[in-house]
Amino acid sequence: MKVTYNWLKDFLEISIPAEALADKMTMAGLEVTSLTCRGGDFVFEIEVTSNRPDCLSVIGLAREVAVITGKRIKDKRARRHNMKIGGSAQPLKIKIEDKKDCCLYTAKIIRDVRVGPSPKWLKERLELVGIHSVNNIVDATNYVLFEEGEPLHAFDLDKLLPGTIWVRRGRQGEKIVTIDGQERLLGEEILVIADSRRPVALAGIMGSKDTEVTEHTKDILLEAALFNPIVVRRGRQSLGVQSEAAYRFERGVALESVEAASLKALNLINQLAGGHCVSHQASARPKGNKKVVSLGLKRLDSVLGVVVPLSKTKSILSGLGFQVKQKGSRLAVAVPGFRQDISSDVDLVEEVGRIFGYKNIPATYAEVLPQPGVSFERTGVLLLKRILVSLGLQEVVTLSLIDKTMNRAYACIEDTRSVEIANPLSSEQEVLRRSLVPSLLKCVALNLNQKQRYINIFEISKDFFWLKDNPVERLALGLAFCGDRDFLLEQGCIRDKAGPLHLKGVLETVFKRWGIKEYGFKEEGPGCFAVNIAQEKIGFLADLSQDILQQAGIKNRRVVAAEIYLEKIINFANLQKRFIPLALYPGISRDISLVIEERVAAGDIIKAVQNEAHPLLEDVAIVDCYRGKQIPSGFRGLTLSCFYRTDERTLTEEEINPLHLKVCTALKEQFKAEIR
Amino acid sequence: MPSIDIKTIETQLKAALEAVSSLAAFEELQIKYLGRKGIFAQLTASIPSLPVEERALFGQQVNAFKGRAVSAFREKNGLLAASAQAADSCFLDITMPGIAQELGCLHPVTQVSEEICAIFSRMGFLVWEGPEIETEYNNFTGLNIPPEHPSRDVFDTFYIKQPVLSPGKKAKDSERLLLRSHTSPMQVRLMRQRCPPLAVVVPGRVYRPDAVDASHSFMFHQIEGFLVDKGIRFSDLKGALEFFLKEVFGPKIKMRLRPHFFPFTEPSAEVDISCIICSGKGCSVCGRKGWLEVLGSGMIHPNVFRHVGYDPKKYTGFAFGMGVERIAMLKYGIDDIRLFYGNDLRFLKQF
Repeated sequence: MKVTYNWLKDFLEISIPAEALADKMTMAGLEVTSLTCRGGDFVFEIEVTSNRPDCLSVIGLAREVAVITGKRIKDKRARRHNMKIGGSAQPLKIKIEDKKDCCLYTAKIIRDVRVGPSPKWLKERLELVGIHSVNNIVDATNYVLFEEGEPLHAFDLDKLLPGTIWVRRGRQGEKIVTIDGQERLLGEEILVIADSRRPVALAGIMGSKDTEVTEHTKDILLEAALFNPIVVRRGRQSLGVQSEAAYRFERGVALESVEAASLKALNLINQLAGGHCVSHQASARPKGNKKVVSLGLKRLDSVLGVVVPLSKTKSILSGLGFQVKQKGSRLAVAVPGFRQDISSDVDLVEEVGRIFGYKNIPATYAEVLPQPGVSFERTGVLLLKRILVSLGLQEVVTLSLIDKTMNRAYACIEDTRSVEIANPLSSEQEVLRRSLVPSLLKCVALNLNQKQRYINIFEISKDFFWLKDNPVERLALGLAFCGDRDFLLEQGCIRDKAGPLHLKGVLETVFKRWGIKEYGFKEEGPGCFAVNIAQEKIGFLADLSQDILQQAGIKNRRVVAAEIYLEKIINFANLQKRFIPLALYPGISRDISLVIEERVAAGDIIKAVQNEAHPLLEDVAIVDCYRGKQIPSGFRGLTLSCFYRTDERTLTEEEINPLHLKVCTALKEQFKAEIR
Repeated sequence: MPSIDIKTIETQLKAALEAVSSLAAFEELQIKYLGRKGIFAQLTASIPSLPVEERALFGQQVNAFKGRAVSAFREKNGLLAASAQAADSCFLDITMPGIAQELGCLHPVTQVSEEICAIFSRMGFLVWEGPEIETEYNNFTGLNIPPEHPSRDVFDTFYIKQPVLSPGKKAKDSERLLLRSHTSPMQVRLMRQRCPPLAVVVPGRVYRPDAVDASHSFMFHQIEGFLVDKGIRFSDLKGALEFFLKEVFGPKIKMRLRPHFFPFTEPSAEVDISCIICSGKGCSVCGRKGWLEVLGSGMIHPNVFRHVGYDPKKYTGFAFGMGVERIAMLKYGIDDIRLFYGNDLRFLKQF
């Protein structure tokens, strides 16, 4: 809403500069988003909140300014107009199809107007608030619209079929060409004004081209009405049109302003274009409901946290147009018609608070009692994030809404039914993702394009899918690795190429930290591994196929990804640590170097060693793996490090040697391993 | 005589130490003298065989000698180690890159969100998360947003395609599903589950069908907070927010509350801080206003309490909500919201 400094001054005395006024208005809830000096005046652009349609008028803003600055508003209501009703006037009938669509319709017929350009002052004032001058009649209606907040419309009476003015819904197939030159197809959802033959206006939105007031117009019909806000909004939306009139009707126009504005416009038209009003017709005036809201004086202070003096409270409320009567410790506050937003005591508390000034309310501190209920899920996820970044991974945040084509079933992603959006704005918002992997691949692709050599990222967010009739939100950890990196050590450079074992390593670290022991990785298909805890699948790990990568825009690269369903892991997690006494006796370490066929699983060898050397074996680890000159092709060399120890005594060489020999023999026999 | 013995032994030891040039020989010598069966052990062992009147003196002499010997060994060891190192590597170039594993970092949205939650945790608020798919009831109706409010439009909220609902029949708002357009529905959920006092912050993703540009995204993060108890006042809201904003943006910033309108709070306020770039003088970041809008807030509307079954005469409460990206953008000087979801590593590694 735009208003000018001088226009406000028509209604009250303002003794502070425009800038100071803008600041005061902002701090009273009428945010001035811009203030510009133009043509010797100041234009205020005000963001009026949707609950305050009364401030979409100069008079409404003036009322606020008066309260804020402690002045009185001048009474500028139109006096009664001396109408020459009757004479040659044809009787005009108003028929409203449904009173719910239009609770009041008034029409004045003004004859013998002289249409012409508006005077300079009017043109200028309208230009300042962003309205182009058309002619004196249209300008008069627009001027009153701005001043009173009630949209008006003037028809060229001669273009209307005489008889009846209808307020009705549009019919299938009906068309109208509106003032902006657009032909619009009407329907049941559009409320129109019509004569007995055709629609002549989109009610509360815009008039038709062929009934607009032009320089040839002699007689006019001046409409002032009250249309249903919802109907106006729906109609405007379905036609994709916006207007100053619709903007106000949608937010709600006060009943009282209909007649006041109509009368004011009539006066202004007489003043600018002559003519005389010959008829005034109106539908039955609905009853305005007089609301009285009771406000306990204690309530005011106990909600705001400050004591507002009673006299101050009263003067604020009456300045805003409320009628206040004190009844003991309560105020009976009669709400004026233009304040449809006020319905309960807290609404009045806000009125008093905002004019009293939020800055005059102190800052205090509420006592907050300790509450139980910190969820493990949250602390667990935070811990997980910290572990992952300490391992060098980078957290990403990607959009949960994606393109349908990104939501395909991968080798490892179950083919669940995806959750679709009914009203996406674009294809990239069609569905909620059912896996984090496609989004992670998008990140990988972007960073590869930025020439990143090594990408190791993770995200913790939700997957979505339908389970029978319920949408499920599944908290998941997604991981993706791609590329290689060099570690420059004192001995030289080591190149590290990202592969599935990197993902495994990350997951193992997490499982260990979370106190999960019974985890495993099991091949499910080519390049795809199930991640299990206690035989239950809790996610997957995959060496993604070139086909999938190409669809994500990644060519000739290896990308490995994993997704773990956290709610499942959380059930297995045990973050409660228990102290284990430190070892009392030293142990003995023995290495085994062996050569095995490629396809013999290292995990099986470890298991065999554990079986053979139990219970003196405390730990066995693979410390080296090599292929090359000394190893025939189809084979690989492994070095195992076995650590023997017991809590009962210091082990001796004599005790360990035969045991270790037994282990080596078993490996030879079971795996055809060559011990070196 | 024992005293002569010690002197002889000390001379021999000095000569032997002087002659040692390798670590191996050094260790051998050390064992010879200081080992379990070494010379000093022998000397100590010989004490009982001496006449009673000589034992004390001899013991003192042995101990003194042992002390000198130990420091001589230590000194020699240091010399040997230094020369060994010098021989090993001719030159240590400390200007070579250090060797360490690179740390990853948390996404700036996570960092800021956690910082905000931590501040409110210190004030006694619980951190709670909620579902992203919500009912129309929780997202709107329960929050006193009327049935015809524009924010319910398909232009402002993403609705879920629900195959179960018959298309002709109008679904109940407790059945109709949408992507939450704010984190406020958690007010309804939590208040229905629990009784006051209740002090909670809710971080999470929210969705709105906005066209994407430098300051809009159809998905972003919000943090909702609310406190409900007997006797909670607007002034308490002011205190809590002032504390919070000074923790995030520094003790020098100023805060102001501007009256505003939200259907679920009354009175309502928008919260501005003095511009962190120009400290209120006016610059391009604050649009020459000197103030930056950071939060929406207010006293929880009695109708919200009625919806969840709290007695609005008995309880009052405040609520506030903020965009995490907005706070992060101000805090770090980021000028394009799309950077958060692009996940360019060059961007992420800066935080």
